Amino acid sequence: MTTKRIENPMPEPSQLTELIDSMSASTNPQTATTLQILHNLQYQHLWTSLQIHATPADMASSAEDPRPTLISGIPPHRVYTHPDEQLYMLERGLRDDDLRPERLFVIPTAQGQRWSLRRMAAVFDAMSDIEVAADDESDTVALPEGAKAEKLEEYYRKRAEADITKEWGSKRALLGMVDKGMGGEGTVVYYIVQEGEVKPRQN
Amino acid sequence: MDNPTLPIPISYISGRYLLFSIDAVTYLRREHHICGVLIGTLSQLPQQNVFLGLPLELMPEEARLLVDKGVACIVDEAKAHGGMESLAEEDRRQYLRELESQGLHASRLLSDRRDQNREQVLKKLDEKSRAKALKAKEKKEDKDVSSPASEAKEEPLDLVAPEPTTSTPASKNTGRQQAMGVTPATSYPPLPQPNSSQHLPPPEVPLSYPLFAHLSTRGYFLSPGLRFGCQYVAYPGDPLRFHSHFLTVSSEWDEGIDLMGIVNGGRLGTGVKKGFLLGGPQKSRDEAESEAERVESVRTFSIEWAGM
Repeated sequence: MTTKRIENPMPEPSQLTELIDSMSASTNPQTATTLQILHNLQYQHLWTSLQIHATPADMASSAEDPRPTLISGIPPHRVYTHPDEQLYMLERGLRDDDLRPERLFVIPTAQGQRWSLRRMAAVFDAMSDIEVAADDESDTVALPEGAKAEKLEEYYRKRAEADITKEWGSKRALLGMVDKGMGGEGTVVYYIVQEGEVKPRQN
Repeated sequence: MDNPTLPIPISYISGRYLLFSIDAVTYLRREHHICGVLIGTLSQLPQQNVFLGLPLELMPEEARLLVDKGVACIVDEAKAHGGMESLAEEDRRQYLRELESQGLHASRLLSDRRDQNREQVLKKLDEKSRAKALKAKEKKEDKDVSSPASEAKEEPLDLVAPEPTTSTPASKNTGRQQAMGVTPATSYPPLPQPNSSQHLPPPEVPLSYPLFAHLSTRGYFLSPGLRFGCQYVAYPGDPLRFHSHFLTVSSEWDEGIDLMGIVNGGRLGTGVKKGFLLGGPQKSRDEAESEAERVESVRTFSIEWAGM
């Protein structure tokens, strides 16, 4: 029996590791988490126009409780549609793909991180103050013509109303969670978090 | 549908909050969205737990909410019944007489209804037989043949009819002595209603009370959440008509939340077509002067699996 000599015992660092090494100068663990989730969104879920936002400095933070960051980006398909909104769209023959893509916030977290309602509320409050750099959202979707355009316009008007009455839900974000503990294999899971009591999608 | 007199006394018996009056139970469910849990079973068959009846057990949160709203009061039932022994003989007799008259009233109502039903049935039979006779007559005229057989056919029906009419007055007469047994579920007619000085203080509630009260004021019906692995199950309307919307878990503002708990709740909720609702008051018990102040400061977040 012959044993093969291992020439290079250290494997090449992964794309992700390289990204984290190149992007984060600080030792803040939150930065690495944020980058890992950003990487996942970009290459696994094919999000575009991704940005990283810092939350206001007055938020409580400590070494083991770093200040949360936020990611925003545009998903290739709509991630969430409120059930009443879905009904409205169905009645008008509109599909998710007809709508112009929208920017969605993602809260990057790591499993084992300590969270609280205060932290969650602070992140949600910070979301409305964050200015998103202007991006070319309009040219990514072909403008429909004729009756559909009219219906879309009607839909956007109704949506503007719903944003005020909050009948189609209020502020929402994705909670991205990465397993970084012992044996963590870098899976990221996503949960939709919305402020207030928003009825579930399938009931 | 009589509304009970307010405040409704909630019986506090060995650490439980119970309701014994069916009027109070239906009123609270209808007007205040309080469902409670029926826990009464048959003393002969205590194992059967499919069809439960009175009393209705309330969660401390439910009892507290009703007391805070001024709809109910808490009564120490053991103390309130101390007066039972000192009940005057005259009062006792009068109460028994009252029960008997109630029983008579009930049996009279029942027999009246029975009579009505019978009359209706007889009327129908009568009409039928008359119609038959008419038809038979027409036939006879058509055939121009008179046969006594058709008259004989009618006879048995006529015989049935007079029999009950003779028996009904008899049953009405006998109804006098057979009063139905009435077992009152509450003991407040013989005993005086406990006055406000005898009421117990509002119930002690868990830290999750503000979230409970917050959801209740938003019109949700809440029931205990053990079956779904949460604190409360929130229904958008009466649980008999609606599926629930949320599995609810309360947390204090600075209490640590394990992210795995959010995954568990989110997954469980999505698995049973519900949302996972996490919420709590912004003020701790030290910061707030009253529970009402805490209820005001509640914020909630609904969580669902994103499916990606």
